[in-house]
Amino acid sequence: MNVFAVPARRSRARGWWGMALFAATEATLFGTIFGTYVYLRFKAVHWPPDGIASPSITIPLVLTGVLLATSAPMQLASAAARSGRARRAQALLLLALVVQAGYFAMQLQRYADDVQAHPPQLSAYTSITQLMVGADHFHVFVGLLLNLFLLAKLMDGRVTAYRRTGVQAAALYWHVVNALTVVVVLLQLSPSL
Amino acid sequence: MTGTRSGAGRARRRLQLLLPLGLPLLATGCGRENLLDPASPQQHKIATLWWVMMGVAWFGLALIGFLLALGWLRRKREGLPGGGGDRVATALVVGLGVAAPIVSLSALFVWSDIFVMRATSAPNPSSTSLTVEVTGHQWWWEVRYPGTRAVTANEIHIPVGARVNLVGKTADVIHSFWIPKLNRKIDLIPGRTNRIVLEATRAGRFRGQCYEYCGLQHAHMGMEVVAESPARFRAWLANMAKDAAAPSTSMQRQGREAFLNEACSGCHQIRGTDAHARVGPDLTHVASRATIAALTLPNETGTLAGWIVDPQHDKPGARMPALDLQGPEVQALVAYLESLR
Amino acid sequence: MTVLAPPVEERVELLDRIWEERPGVLGWLTTVDHKRIGLLFFFTSLAFFAAGGVEALVIRTQLAGPDQRLVGPQTFNELMTMHGTTMIFLFVVPMGLGAFGNYLVPLMLGARDLAFPRLNALSYWIFLASGLFIYTGLFVGQGPDQGWFSYVPLALKQFDPSLGPDFYALGLIFNGLSTTATAINLVTTIFKLRAPGMSLNRLPLFCYAQLAAAGSALILLPPLTLDLVLLELQRKAGFHFFDVAAGGSPMLWQHLFWLFGHPEVYLIVLPAFGITTSIIPTFAKRKMVAAPLVALAELLVAFIGFGVWAHHMFSTGMPTSALVFFAAATFMVVIPSTVQIYAWLFTVNLGRPEFRTPLLFVGAFIVFFVIGGLSGIMFAAIPFDQATTDTYFVVAHFHFIIFGAAVFPILGGMFYWFPKVTGRMYHEGWAKASFWLTFSGTALTFFPMHIAGLLGMPRRVYTYPHGLGWDGYNLAETIGGFILTAGLVLIAANLVFSRLRGAPAGPNPFRGPTLEWATSSPPPPYNFAVIPTVRSEYPGWDDEALFEDRRRLERGLGTYPDGHRQPEATVRDAYPDDVADMPSESGWPVAVAVLLSLMFALTLTSHFVAAGVVAGLAGLAAAAWLWKEPAE
Repeated sequence: MNVFAVPARRSRARGWWGMALFAATEATLFGTIFGTYVYLRFKAVHWPPDGIASPSITIPLVLTGVLLATSAPMQLASAAARSGRARRAQALLLLALVVQAGYFAMQLQRYADDVQAHPPQLSAYTSITQLMVGADHFHVFVGLLLNLFLLAKLMDGRVTAYRRTGVQAAALYWHVVNALTVVVVLLQLSPSL
Repeated sequence: MTGTRSGAGRARRRLQLLLPLGLPLLATGCGRENLLDPASPQQHKIATLWWVMMGVAWFGLALIGFLLALGWLRRKREGLPGGGGDRVATALVVGLGVAAPIVSLSALFVWSDIFVMRATSAPNPSSTSLTVEVTGHQWWWEVRYPGTRAVTANEIHIPVGARVNLVGKTADVIHSFWIPKLNRKIDLIPGRTNRIVLEATRAGRFRGQCYEYCGLQHAHMGMEVVAESPARFRAWLANMAKDAAAPSTSMQRQGREAFLNEACSGCHQIRGTDAHARVGPDLTHVASRATIAALTLPNETGTLAGWIVDPQHDKPGARMPALDLQGPEVQALVAYLESLR
Repeated sequence: MTVLAPPVEERVELLDRIWEERPGVLGWLTTVDHKRIGLLFFFTSLAFFAAGGVEALVIRTQLAGPDQRLVGPQTFNELMTMHGTTMIFLFVVPMGLGAFGNYLVPLMLGARDLAFPRLNALSYWIFLASGLFIYTGLFVGQGPDQGWFSYVPLALKQFDPSLGPDFYALGLIFNGLSTTATAINLVTTIFKLRAPGMSLNRLPLFCYAQLAAAGSALILLPPLTLDLVLLELQRKAGFHFFDVAAGGSPMLWQHLFWLFGHPEVYLIVLPAFGITTSIIPTFAKRKMVAAPLVALAELLVAFIGFGVWAHHMFSTGMPTSALVFFAAATFMVVIPSTVQIYAWLFTVNLGRPEFRTPLLFVGAFIVFFVIGGLSGIMFAAIPFDQATTDTYFVVAHFHFIIFGAAVFPILGGMFYWFPKVTGRMYHEGWAKASFWLTFSGTALTFFPMHIAGLLGMPRRVYTYPHGLGWDGYNLAETIGGFILTAGLVLIAANLVFSRLRGAPAGPNPFRGPTLEWATSSPPPPYNFAVIPTVRSEYPGWDDEALFEDRRRLERGLGTYPDGHRQPEATVRDAYPDDVADMPSESGWPVAVAVLLSLMFALTLTSHFVAAGVVAGLAGLAAAAWLWKEPAE
């Protein structure tokens, strides 16, 4: 009674779809944040307002480039998990995690300094900028936890269907977060560009 | 309602033929905020727009009702009356559901959103002969006539026949200004100024109120446009620009003392005295106004005294506090305020 | 099913054992069965419906005549805010997606559960907690009182120092988590768990409507969430988004709110459209006319709905070009709706309709939806909108849409699926009586509001003076409100009585065409002993396929008897290409929901550090929940 031919390649698991939909709604959330930034910006005469220096460009761009590069090990880890190679997936996840954690530590330091210097209570400019950048850092932080969790799950060296989907979903999460980070940084730096 | 039997009136009466369709009381001219009893060319266009839309809407509803009834009457028989099947039905779905709306909605779009809108949109200031500035407050209206010293509250006097440029602002939260018989409404939003043209074609008092929910006493934030002959309007404006009349009796003098010594002068202005605060309505000519507390109460001796003693009774939450005043003091205050014509 | 041959019986017993959940209260707390969660959603949102209804009755009693003082302005404003908030966020949406979607979508797809059963449980517990959270405000005397769309600056601390707006904002952020999780769950389920052969063109129209609603929920909730976050940051942490002096704008609130608020209307009515497209073919005893057009229309409505938000703001003084753009988009959104209306009407006309209670409710729905739609079109005529906005004309319009077009199909759906859920029939005579009572009550409550609006009556006034011509209409509305209430109580009484005493219904009393009717009433925990095979758009009418499914059960094919399992399929063609291990009952969702409630309560009371710690604990609980794999 096998009227349904099984396709050669297994289609995306439901866990991956769940993450894709979650990423879509998160991307929409960032989209509305970007819209808010642009809306407030074009209402203002001076952006940033008088007395607030325009952001510096070099370090944020370099850091973003580093974060963006971690999409590669994440994608490779996803492929490794797909073909059942647990150790390889683990190593790639660890590589990505180390770079992402370094990025996060540096950004957090910079963020704390910036909030000190330009508290969000100052004006609409500082409010929306700190909110946008903070939301982005928070998503990086969640991604770190996700990778830690997957590394722990893969400790016993086996790839189950559940873990395979988990790694694929995490890779997708990071791709989306990295893409959003690029937009965040470009908007954040836009007064200086 | 004392309406003129002009062309507008005739058109209104013709449109009353549509009444059996279900809105009996509407066009009888009753209702002081009836938007279908227009007193301006702008509102006349909006009212006409409504009557036509209503006619078409009843037709659409009747068609749907007919199809439902047909389904019930022919519940024992399969197929459409003419014997049509799926193909005919699909064609009807496309015809009635896609083609017919596209045609009728395009027509409505062009008429309402291009022509009627242009007629009712914010006026070019050079096309108007008078500017009135209205500022919404929780929960009353401040009315100023730029270029003059005239300030009043909750009562907007305009000359009949003139195009008036009404400028709307807010002092606190969002309010919405609407005189249903004169024109569409404008929201009064912090950081923005919205404008509208008022052009009364007949004399009368046209009631309006706040239409954007603005807190506790949103319900008691009424105002009135008083359209009067140009001569009467000029006289009124000249009087409004003057300082307050000096008290002429000892009772009134005591009232003035009380006003200046008690908390009253902390919020209200009476030009020509030392009371210059602008928190509450300007009272320089308070006796000339028909109502108090933004149309909440008629401006009569009893209601005025009651309002002064306990504003929270008729308008709970109003910004004016109940003051601990003695009977004679209240009487004197009322006597003084009633002399401010 | 009483004459099963022994092997079949054994197989069914095995499935019963595998899918059995704990009995009693603990079973309800830890359940992941979409049917039980659907019922929890159903009864909880019904309880909120009752609360919102009582609020409405107090409002109507106050407004029955001029200058009444049943309640003061503060109480009235809290009641009208809570009425709107309750009906939209705590009743219609959770009822449409959470109850109807949850219970029916897997059954119609031939699946055994939603794609993420534990996430589904979390959705429910969050929904319950968020509803109680918002109502706590009302009961501690700090109820939200700024209107359900909470315009700033009125909702800022400067004008509203109470906790009311905080209860509202935090409660709705919390509530949004539930709707988002449910939406992700429904879309993934529709994509991945369809029975073999149910390619997208054979997907029931009910599921198309759910897909459109859930998909749009994922896009429309973020603007609301952001708006509420901005409000709380400004209220609690002194950020600047809405105050002009610091470079903010009160218009920002309105744009973000209506960017959510208008598509929300389609989120509300789409599940109702889905119910309608289920009821009509069953009672007209024929397939839907122009079914592909209806599916397309359901998706288009959701899509165009995102381009019309600013028609809620026509009187704010936007540039003319913006006005015209949004008015044109509003006209466009009419067309998918008219297509559906005529498709329903001609399906009824082509068939030999049996006017039983569910179809009566659907007929009333069509009438009310057309009335609300026609007055909706009038709002796209900008000058007329600018005249009647914020009057009772608007109140009339959206009650015809939300009550007439969303709640009536829900009521019809309650009767339609009652036999499926309970295994018993409702009382037809009383059901028809309750229909006419509800129908006339609704018309009498909401129709005169049009006239009151044209006579200038503003919405959200706690009282009004005599002499403006509003008195009679308001009295009629109040009388209508009580008639409507009587009708609703009669419906409830009928269903409760029928649950206890109704005649046995059998699996398919109405000869419905979708798969939920192919299993027993009520369905077993695993829904289908054998996963059905789909070969047409109306598998319930495909006797050959149903017969073959029974044969496969006898031969032990497609029962997936080794654990909580069911096939996973490709998105477009529904070729089964994997076997999914579904999770079983768990206490973690309740635990996470409790921790999240605590986090929101701490945020409300400005204990931000403690709130952060509890959020961390919630994260740990989520990790513990995810640690155990379903297959273990």
